[in-house]
Amino acid sequence: MTLFLIRLSGKHTEVSINHVLSTDTSGVAGCLMTTSNRPIAIAGAGLLGRLLAWQLLRGGHAVTLFEAGSLQQPAAAAHTAAGMVAPLSEAVDSEAAIYDMGMASLQLWPQWLQALQRESGENIAYQHNGSLIVAHPQDSAELLQFHSDLQHMLPGRGGFQWLDDRAIGACEPDIGAQFQQGLLLEHEAHIDNRHLLQALLGEIRRLGGDCREHCTVRTSAHAVDTPGGRERFDLVIDCRGVGAKSQWPGLRGIRGEVLCVQTAEVTLQRPVRLMHPRYQLYVVPKPGRHFVIGATQIESEDRGAVTLQSSLELGSALYTINPAFAEARIVEMSANLRPALMDNLPKIEVREGLLLANGLYRHGYLLAPVVVSHLLALIDGGELAFAATLGLAQQGENCRAG
Amino acid sequence: MQEDKLTLYGEQFNSRFLLGTALYPSPRSMRDAVAAAGCDIVTLGLRRQNPADKDGEAIWDYIRQSGCKLLPNTAGCTSAKEAVTLAQMSREIFDTAWIKLEVIGDEYNLQPDPFGLVEAAATLIQQGFKVLPYCTDDLILCRRLLDAGCQVLMPWGAPIGTGQGLLNRYNLHTLRTRLADTPLIIDAGLGAPSQAAEAMEMGFDAVLLNTAVAKARDPVSMAAAFATAIEAGRQAFRAGLMHKRQTASPSTPTVGQPFWHQKKP
Repeated sequence: MTLFLIRLSGKHTEVSINHVLSTDTSGVAGCLMTTSNRPIAIAGAGLLGRLLAWQLLRGGHAVTLFEAGSLQQPAAAAHTAAGMVAPLSEAVDSEAAIYDMGMASLQLWPQWLQALQRESGENIAYQHNGSLIVAHPQDSAELLQFHSDLQHMLPGRGGFQWLDDRAIGACEPDIGAQFQQGLLLEHEAHIDNRHLLQALLGEIRRLGGDCREHCTVRTSAHAVDTPGGRERFDLVIDCRGVGAKSQWPGLRGIRGEVLCVQTAEVTLQRPVRLMHPRYQLYVVPKPGRHFVIGATQIESEDRGAVTLQSSLELGSALYTINPAFAEARIVEMSANLRPALMDNLPKIEVREGLLLANGLYRHGYLLAPVVVSHLLALIDGGELAFAATLGLAQQGENCRAG
Repeated sequence: MQEDKLTLYGEQFNSRFLLGTALYPSPRSMRDAVAAAGCDIVTLGLRRQNPADKDGEAIWDYIRQSGCKLLPNTAGCTSAKEAVTLAQMSREIFDTAWIKLEVIGDEYNLQPDPFGLVEAAATLIQQGFKVLPYCTDDLILCRRLLDAGCQVLMPWGAPIGTGQGLLNRYNLHTLRTRLADTPLIIDAGLGAPSQAAEAMEMGFDAVLLNTAVAKARDPVSMAAAFATAIEAGRQAFRAGLMHKRQTASPSTPTVGQPFWHQKKP
């Protein structure tokens, strides 16, 4: 049996995790694995909210899922995202902990997707065949810098190799001959994110989850305030992303814009990232001969339509990867906000009757399985391998097993 | 030595290190780097943040909390008209008449457009702005900017983000000697603290940079390294660098050495 103790800093209260799930843990002394059917509310039906609702329902909990927008046409950043699980690429611009969490997610995704397929029959496209990093000859310094940053960040770990133009052609025949060198990052995957979000919703409903869409809420200890009044729960979990801004100081949105095109003329086996001094853009192949090109990164909470400047940047990156993209159809252009804290690292906050998870920034698919696992561990018991990175350690004298 | 303050448009500053706030791994690392640099002035760009609706407020507020004087810039503008409009928005948002004026003439190396720059500077100065133009190292352009009413100039060391250092020492030396009374800030192109020290040793009044710090593996340490180098370079300039010469001049007197051993070069 496992008991996690978390001392909330500054409040001088010791909140054991059995308190997270309210009272009546009699007889199980802090182990909540058996406290099924306790009503849990989840605010936010983005990637975190859906994965968490699905896993809690599978664990026998009663779940109510609140979503401010539509469930079929999600406004979540996870809907707009390209769905890359790219621990190496992302580690370079953040920290080694992001890499470690990403590698843990790479283990979890196939297991979760298998379970989802077994239980729902939905087969979500998920490919773990690496990604390719290229730069134009005049920008080769960017590639060298990226390589040296990788070596510095992950000494001795490997997982990446130089390719010359022939090797690039061998692994991606449709990549233009203008790229004379590239890096193949082996441990990177991508997922058909929109299909996943749909399939999760289907499973949440099938398992009896109570889904409320177009319902803007505020969260507090054991309670969710909806336009229709206050509803009480044993535990509330807030994963609303930028939607939680008014309740989380320091949370901000970072604008990202993506382009989705369709063409039968180009085939890519894996995501391709183009290094450029001013921006890094990637092209991710999607089912149905679709390609998602993203993403801009602008310190702005502007949710407005994609700008011409951004569409030029995205479009020219695509064009330089292969000019045959010129005749691709533009299927969609969309903009959204990534939720981030000021250190751009994810965080879980534990309060009485309330768990908050946020700040996954541009690492949604990279980190979600790990963050959800930690939330599940806080509720049902289990390992908290990344407590420090997720800010759990700072919230008390660590989360400790007792 | 006398107190050594940097004076720009009548305001005095202790630090001769101006830092940009873009490209850091996170806002927190940016603020930590600004603190380690000991800056009094930071610059920020808002062209792509939809300033008309103040959509960058979250990050602007965080930068404000650094306590530094904010120097909004017009990065990303390619015409005088765009730059003037953005400067006006910046004045409203940040309540400051100071503007780092950028009018970019070439998309690839982000080279300033001298003609658009002079035009925008003249317009803004008429409207009461205190303009700090990002310019090339061309003497005539610098004179035109002074004629337009600029009291500070920011010539480049090299194109933005290249880390090439002082590419044209002859031109920069010319600017320093011919515009001896104008505060000159080397802006852009510096990649290493030694290059910043060199600029300060040449007598430039301050250094502005961004990429070299923001993209370092450890931006905070790199900010501190630049701060130290800038201070060293300034102190060396004020102390008076010796002139290079051909003849070796022993710092230890050669008393006791017979004169016939002292050969001519």
